[in-house]
Amino acid sequence: MSDNPANIKKMRKDITPYLVFAIPLAFMMIFLLYPMVLTMLRAFMPSGNKLQVGAFSVEGFTKFFTSSMYKKALNNSFIISLSVTGLCILIGVPMGYFVARVKMPGKNLMLSLGILPIIMPSFVGAFTWVILLGRQGVVRHFLNVLLSPLGITIPTIYGMFGMILCMTLTYYPFVFQLAYGAFASANSLLEEAGMLMGASRWYIFRTITFPLILPSLGAGALLVFVRAIGNFGIPAIIGGDKYVLPTLIYFRVNGFWDLNGAASIAVVNVAITGLVLYLQKRIVNRHEYETISATHSEIKQHESKAIRIIAFVYCAIILVASLLPQLTIIVMSLFEKWVGLFPEGFTFRHYARIPSYSHKELFNTFYLSIMATVLAALLGSLIAYITERKKPKGAALLDMSIMMPFILPGTVVSVALLSAFSGNSIIKLTGTYTIIVISYMVRRTPYVYRSVAASLSQLNPSLEEASTIAGANWFYTFRRVSVPLIMPAIISGSILTLTTLLQELSTTILLYSSKTRTVPIQIYGAVADGKLGEASALSVVLLIVVFVIVYAMNRKQGKSISSAFKMG
Amino acid sequence: MSLNLTYSTINKIFDPNSKNPVHALKDVSFSIEPGELFCLLGPSGCGKTTLLRATAGLETITSGHILYGDTDMTTIPPFRRNIGMVFQSFALYPHMNIFENVAYGLRVRKMEEKEVRRRVTEVMELVGLSEELKRNPSPTGLSGGQQQRVAIARALVYEPDILLLDEPLANLDAKLRRYMRAEIRRIQKATNITTIFVTHDQEEAMAIGDRLAVLRKGVVEQIGTSDELYTNPNNAFVSNFIGKMNFFNASLVDSNTAKIDATALTVTVSPERARLADDLKKGSEVLIGARPEQLEIVEEGGEGTIAATVQIIQHLGQVVRYEVVLDRAISPTPMEVDMPHYLSNVREQDSVFIRFKEGLPFLFNREEQN
Repeated sequence: MSDNPANIKKMRKDITPYLVFAIPLAFMMIFLLYPMVLTMLRAFMPSGNKLQVGAFSVEGFTKFFTSSMYKKALNNSFIISLSVTGLCILIGVPMGYFVARVKMPGKNLMLSLGILPIIMPSFVGAFTWVILLGRQGVVRHFLNVLLSPLGITIPTIYGMFGMILCMTLTYYPFVFQLAYGAFASANSLLEEAGMLMGASRWYIFRTITFPLILPSLGAGALLVFVRAIGNFGIPAIIGGDKYVLPTLIYFRVNGFWDLNGAASIAVVNVAITGLVLYLQKRIVNRHEYETISATHSEIKQHESKAIRIIAFVYCAIILVASLLPQLTIIVMSLFEKWVGLFPEGFTFRHYARIPSYSHKELFNTFYLSIMATVLAALLGSLIAYITERKKPKGAALLDMSIMMPFILPGTVVSVALLSAFSGNSIIKLTGTYTIIVISYMVRRTPYVYRSVAASLSQLNPSLEEASTIAGANWFYTFRRVSVPLIMPAIISGSILTLTTLLQELSTTILLYSSKTRTVPIQIYGAVADGKLGEASALSVVLLIVVFVIVYAMNRKQGKSISSAFKMG
Repeated sequence: MSLNLTYSTINKIFDPNSKNPVHALKDVSFSIEPGELFCLLGPSGCGKTTLLRATAGLETITSGHILYGDTDMTTIPPFRRNIGMVFQSFALYPHMNIFENVAYGLRVRKMEEKEVRRRVTEVMELVGLSEELKRNPSPTGLSGGQQQRVAIARALVYEPDILLLDEPLANLDAKLRRYMRAEIRRIQKATNITTIFVTHDQEEAMAIGDRLAVLRKGVVEQIGTSDELYTNPNNAFVSNFIGKMNFFNASLVDSNTAKIDATALTVTVSPERARLADDLKKGSEVLIGARPEQLEIVEEGGEGTIAATVQIIQHLGQVVRYEVVLDRAISPTPMEVDMPHYLSNVREQDSVFIRFKEGLPFLFNREEQN
């Protein structure tokens, strides 16, 4: 080579993209990385809310060995997340197999109904179980009458049993939907080849079918675990005296304003999640296979009558059990009280008072959710565009940092934001709309990001290059080619963001003030006060709004929203 | 009006600071005439697509210059180069109908609506899609060949100085490919826009190009018309890339004579067919090259013959191709011999002899084969 590096010509660059990209990067630095770093610092400081550089202490962590409350909370979190994950697999895998591989009616309906539990707010599920299985719960009452001759009594919903039941019935759809997808899309030729070589059905399932769905199963189990260990609403409502890590964090912040202590718990909480994520990746990576697909033929379905009946009954029972809460709140919202077998006192009072009692909360809920959704959509799309198209140095780091909130429990995000922007910090945001919008953005940007990044990675870069060649500058190409093509992904990511934000509880509960109270907070308060009718009516309103949005989007985009929710 | 396109000592190194920098283009220098249909040919990874993308400005070059006439294009960003390009995947916009797809470059140039209509109609007529333009569907509803035509129309509509085609036929089936390459040549000659056509298919390149450049590992091995490359290959690689060439391991006796290994046979070629490095000593390892039609099969041994075993006989119509195996010291791979007639006494697995036709073989340096 004759030319030395000094002669190397640099292409004249179009600088607009760099200006546009600086904004999301700055946002991530200020509102995600900086608070997380502060949280790490605070975790190693003596309890209180002071940020003193130099005062190092592991007090927050030693409590996990000294305080019985901490020990129990950690223990409970472990027991609950692991058993919920296990139970979800036990329930979800057979159901996925049945719906995918057994000939039976109403499969599409089952798939649609099977997604509902994760679209609904989980704490709504929790308090309806109070109506059904609480101290004077309907079902419990009924079963106790039925079983009293045998001397058996059903435990109340409060405590470990209730939390596990409730979370399992809320989260099993993740495993069910992913298992269904894997069973339905598996290459039937692989199984047929096994059959021709003389293997029995069970042998084939054990040696071919199951190993091939293992990655999907691992992904589903991880989704369940991350949610179970981060869930705040269910333990807060029916945990009783059984604390878990997220409620413990809430307790430290709300009861003692002990941000440093809360930070220590948060770090432990995240460390566990991170560890599980790591283990899952290691196990799944060992079992990840390239699918060598030739022509795809229809998967053979079980047709024997016995299997069909078993499968149908099994799926029906699970669906009814998991949808019982939704039915219950609709009934409850129309009655004064529901003690014993039947509700009493039919009334529209709960709905009638919503306009006067909840107009501020309704406004706040919509205002905050819509603001955050629009901003998260912008942010997520831009970052996805940068990492996918510009492939800057450190794209992997950007990808990791934006996906981090994916595994961060809501309470942890709140603690991080409070760590950075409360008290005597430079920017004080406590009690404002801004801090809630920011927390929503931090938590939900991954939804849009994921969706857009996936869509971009499937979009041939030559589509954009063709535009450049035709004479269009970067912005023209972005506006006329890139954005229209990724619009469906932006919309589905945004809808997912909006519907989950409308019911957001675990982040808001640590950040709201009387000015910024939202509907979920009000429902939570009403449940705590025992006003189940009021809570039910508000929940029904929330459910209807969420349902209408999801339904409209399904109609418009002509594809199932369930695929979007699986990813979330 | 149209000008020369000149590449002057182009070098491209990917990841220059990493442990394994990839030297994709090495001192590439040549010139393309105005209105020429020029093919860049080579196996995958030879740098042909990199050179094409560098011409478009989609890829920066590490050093060197790309000149259009006297203008240095090297630093001009791609969207100011006035180049048309057809991508392997066609890259048609699924969110626009075919009219808007074709009109895209005109809209970028903020052309008047009336003029846009006129130009699109005209170019669609040229590529033979007038009927489809009336229905104006989304490009996803068109067949592969029609999509290809839309992609070409889109690249031509704003009258680019240079048209680039990046393996444009790779996504079409065999029959359509043969038809479209004649179409591309017709359209190129009708517009007379300087065109560069990238392909790894030598048959396609020979059929379509006015001239061809054969690239290997970032180096231009030879440039010329199809006929020049076929009848006068510079080295063993080009000779076996443009058509089939059989190679015999041999050692050099004098400047145009070599002795075939493991035999006593010496072959003398005409001096202009000895394509050897100047400093090659007597006894150096060389290759004798002969095309299938420059060899023949005989049933009886004798002067100037080499023993061989017939492996496969294929009747190809005009010729019968005999695949024969020789002593591994002569050639580790089977050879192809094309005979004008079927030899009724020769069956597969029979022992036969092969012979050179007088004066036709080549002599090549040995290391250049791959």
